[in-house]
Amino acid sequence: MNNIWGSMEQYDPVVWNWMIAVYLFMAGLSAGSVMVAIGLRWYKRSRGLPVEGLPVIKASAIIGPAAICAGMALLVFDLTKPFDFYLILLNYNLTSVMAWGVLVLLLYIPLMFVYFALVFQQVLLERVPALTGLINVLRVIEQPLLKLMFVLAIGVAIYTGFLLSAMISYPILNTAVLPALFLASALSMGSASNILLATLAFNKSDSDCIEQVHRIEYPVAFNEALCLVLLFVGLNFSGPAAQAATAAISSGVWAQVFWFGVVGLGLAVPVLASTLAPVAWRHSKAFLIGVSSCTILGVLALRHFVVYAGQMYIS
Amino acid sequence: MTKRYVMVHDENKCIGCQACNVACRSENSTPDAVTRIQVRIEGPHGHYPDLHFKYHRVSCQQCENAPCVEVCPTGAAYVGDDGIISINKDKCVGCQYCIAACPYKVRFINPETRVPDKCDFCKHSRLAEGKQPACVSVCPTDALTFGDANDPSSDVAQLLDTRIHFQDKAHLGTKPRVYRIPGKRGGINQ
Repeated sequence: MNNIWGSMEQYDPVVWNWMIAVYLFMAGLSAGSVMVAIGLRWYKRSRGLPVEGLPVIKASAIIGPAAICAGMALLVFDLTKPFDFYLILLNYNLTSVMAWGVLVLLLYIPLMFVYFALVFQQVLLERVPALTGLINVLRVIEQPLLKLMFVLAIGVAIYTGFLLSAMISYPILNTAVLPALFLASALSMGSASNILLATLAFNKSDSDCIEQVHRIEYPVAFNEALCLVLLFVGLNFSGPAAQAATAAISSGVWAQVFWFGVVGLGLAVPVLASTLAPVAWRHSKAFLIGVSSCTILGVLALRHFVVYAGQMYIS
Repeated sequence: MTKRYVMVHDENKCIGCQACNVACRSENSTPDAVTRIQVRIEGPHGHYPDLHFKYHRVSCQQCENAPCVEVCPTGAAYVGDDGIISINKDKCVGCQYCIAACPYKVRFINPETRVPDKCDFCKHSRLAEGKQPACVSVCPTDALTFGDANDPSSDVAQLLDTRIHFQDKAHLGTKPRVYRIPGKRGGINQ
């Protein structure tokens, strides 16, 4: 219908689209993968076990830098002035969560390449021997660097949640539980993606750490589910607009994405598969690939659900 | 004392003619596909034969606690010395965070500049020349009043002192500087 006051097209409340959803996914993937791998490294070291050459750590050294760079590329493409993206590196408004995110990423992204270099030292030095001196220096400060990377990875995972929760007019997004949900889901897809890539690309017989990574999936899945429950129960107690927003999980296409994608693929399938599947299956390649893929797709669905359903309801 | 520019929209006087919308478009050279103000005609409300419409002005609210300014990563969205919120084109990267964060959904990407755009009370054109914003000047029913609310003798200060008024989405704490005098027949429609 034509309105006397003009087109309503510019008033679509969904401003950020799938590119942002996939960026949030990629940032969480990178951060989660690195957190799980560094955590595993510390766990192994504390027990005096070897940590070099673990397939899960190798997987994280590829996922960590690759995912965050792919996400960054999407983020730049989504700008209305992509060629002016450098302005965001020069100007900082410290009340903006995005500016804090830029600062964190400015440190995190180069450190991801350092992480890659430390894990794949041998392969790298065979190809580029000139890097020997640099890697030796990095090796000396490896432990503090890993701690810094771990903290920054938490920062990356959490900031993506705060980025959305700072938008005061969207009841689903404007909640304190969102950063926690993003952290939990980053850990869940981080462990799943490490298992997936380790199973697909690296020799499992080097040392079987996949089981240990697998073990953190239950508490993480529990936390993720708890955050989702808190999010929607909280909305129900936060006034009429927030209450109306609970329709996001009861009607429309995003409700289907939520129940089939987020809850079904992302939470129910991995937990049920790991509890009900016969023990003989659990170590098979196909099982690991299938279950990890479900977890990853579930978190991808979660990011899309949050971005789209979150913006559809306005207070 | 510093200036505090506000606008008052008297929904009793408004007839929804869109003269403000057209004057704004002409004054600010707004591209056809987008708009800085709309007066949405909502209704009819009531029961036949006692039907009436409500007139809802949609434009930048010039919030005192502006979410768009707070979230802008580069400081491209800023508050001027006069309290008016503007956009510095040279700092903007087009992340659209301000558009998403605006509770009033009044920011839009200008298809020509690729930068967010919105009402700025005609700050750089008419206000700089000591004139009233285009929408105020052109309104045939004097439904719009604009001025410095810190000046007790101004029309806006007197209207706000004497008439019942409200602001859109006041519960969000943004402190909008567009005030509305509700239509006598209708309730407050936020």
